[in-house]
Amino acid sequence: MNSLRVFFAGGLTSYRALFNWLNPWAFLSILVAYPVFQTIYFIYLGRAANTANDTFFLIGNAFVAAALAGMFGMTQSIGGERRYQTLPMLLASPANRLALFLGRALPAVVNGFVVAVLSYTLAATMLHLHLSLDRLGGIGTALLASCFACAGLGLCIGSLSFRTRSITLLADTLSGVFLIVTGANVPLNRLPESLQTLANYIPLTHGIHAARALANGHTLADVLPTIGKEAIVGVAYFTVGIAMLHYFERTARHAGSLDRF
Amino acid sequence: MIRAFRSGLKVDLLLLLRSPFDMVGMLVWPIVFASIAYLLLGSANGERVLFTASLGAAVIIMWGWVILGAGFALDTQREMGTLELIVGAPTPLVVLISPVMIARAAFGIYGLVVTLAWGRLVFGIPFLINDWAAFSVAAVGCVLAIGTLGLIAASTFILYRAAFYLGISLQYPVYIASGLILPFAILPGWLRPISWLLAPTWGFRALGKAAAGQTPWPDIGMCFALSVIYLLIAIPCLAFFERLARDRATLKLA
Repeated sequence: MNSLRVFFAGGLTSYRALFNWLNPWAFLSILVAYPVFQTIYFIYLGRAANTANDTFFLIGNAFVAAALAGMFGMTQSIGGERRYQTLPMLLASPANRLALFLGRALPAVVNGFVVAVLSYTLAATMLHLHLSLDRLGGIGTALLASCFACAGLGLCIGSLSFRTRSITLLADTLSGVFLIVTGANVPLNRLPESLQTLANYIPLTHGIHAARALANGHTLADVLPTIGKEAIVGVAYFTVGIAMLHYFERTARHAGSLDRF
Repeated sequence: MIRAFRSGLKVDLLLLLRSPFDMVGMLVWPIVFASIAYLLLGSANGERVLFTASLGAAVIIMWGWVILGAGFALDTQREMGTLELIVGAPTPLVVLISPVMIARAAFGIYGLVVTLAWGRLVFGIPFLINDWAAFSVAAVGCVLAIGTLGLIAASTFILYRAAFYLGISLQYPVYIASGLILPFAILPGWLRPISWLLAPTWGFRALGKAAAGQTPWPDIGMCFALSVIYLLIAIPCLAFFERLARDRATLKLA
C-alpha cells in the first residue's frame, strides 16, 4: 500500500514540480505553443520540398511532441532532484525504488499523450487539415505505445543524473536526432542504411510508422505487430533504465558524488 | 558604459565557449535543420538551393540561440539571486543585457560554419559564395539585427519567472514568419508584412544574395536600420518592464 502511495503521490508531486509551476503559462509555452508551431513549420517545409503530404508531417511531429513531453519530463523528474540537491534525501528514504521512479513515468506518459493530441488537433485546425476521426482510436493506441517507450528512454537518461549534472544536454541532443532518425520529418528510405537500422531500436519509429499506416487506410489489426514492436522497445528501455538506476545509485553512493553541484 | 558592454561581451562569449550545452547544441541543431532540408529537398533541386537552405539553417540557429539565451540568461540571474543586483546597478540595464544577445547571435557564426562544413563534407554541397566581402558584412548585419531583436524580447522576459520557456515557444513562429528555408509563396499572404519587421528575414536574404553574387546591400542596410530601430524600441521597453518588475517586487522570485 505504501509503495502504491509513493507511486501515485510521488509521481503527481514530481509532475507538478516539473516546471516550477505556479501557473499554466510554462506548460502552454513549452508544451503547446512550441510543438504546434514546430508541426506547422515542418508541414510548410514538406510542402516546399513536395516530399510527402501534410498528414505525414502532422503525425510525425505530434509523436515528436509526445517524445518531448515524455522524455524530457521523465529525465527532468530525476535530474531536477539533483539540480535542487534533493537527490541524496530521496535516496536515503526507505521508499521502494521501483514505485519511486516508475511513479514518475506515469505522468510523463499521460502528459506526452495529451501534448501530442493537443499538437495534432491544434496544428490540423490551424492549417484546415482533415482529421479522419475513425482512425483516431488506432492512432491513439500507437501514440500510447510511443509515449511509454519515450518515458523508458527518459528513465535511462534521467538515471545518468546520478553521475552527471548535464543530462539536459543529452536529452536536447536526442530530441534533435529524433526529428530525423525516427522518420518524423524525413521518409526513412531517404536515410542512410545505418540510420535506418538504428531507427528500429529507438522510440517513436514504429509508433509513427503504425500511425501513418492507419491514416493511409490500414486497420488496427494490420498495424498491431508494429505497435507491439514499439511497446517492446519501451519495455527494453524501461528494463535498462531500472538497471541503470540501481547501478548508478550504488556507484554514486560509493563515490559520494550525489551532493556535487 | 563602453567598458561594461565590452567586458559583458567578453564574459558572455567565454561562458558560451565553456558551456558544453551551448557548444554541443550549436553543433547538433544546425546539422539537424540542414540535414532535414537536404534530405527533403534532395539533390534534384540543385546545389544553389541546398546551399541557400544551409544559410537558412544557420539563421535559424542564430535566432534560436538568441531567444533561448535571452530567457536562459535572465532565469539564471534570477535563480542565482543576482538579477536584483544587476537591475540595481548604476549602469543602464540595456548595457548589461545587450552583450548577452549580441554574443549569442555572434555565436551563430559558429553555427554557420558548422552548417556549411556539414553540407560540404556529408552532402557534397560546395561553398557557393560569390562575394565574400558582402557576405561577411551581411553576416555582421545579421548578427547585430537578430541580437537587438532579442533585446526587445529580453525586456519583456524581466517580468516572467518562466522566461526560458517563453523563449523556447518563440523560436518556430519566427522561423515561419521569416521564411527561413521556406519560400514565401507557400506561406499565408498576411505573414509577408510581418516578415518585413523581423531581422531574420533580412539577414537571411542578405546572406543569400551575397552568396549568389546579387546585390545584397539594400538587405544589409535593412539589417543595420532594423538594429537601430530595435535598440530604440528596446531601451524604453527595458526601462518600462524594469520599473514594472520593481513595482511588483518580482525580481527575486525564482
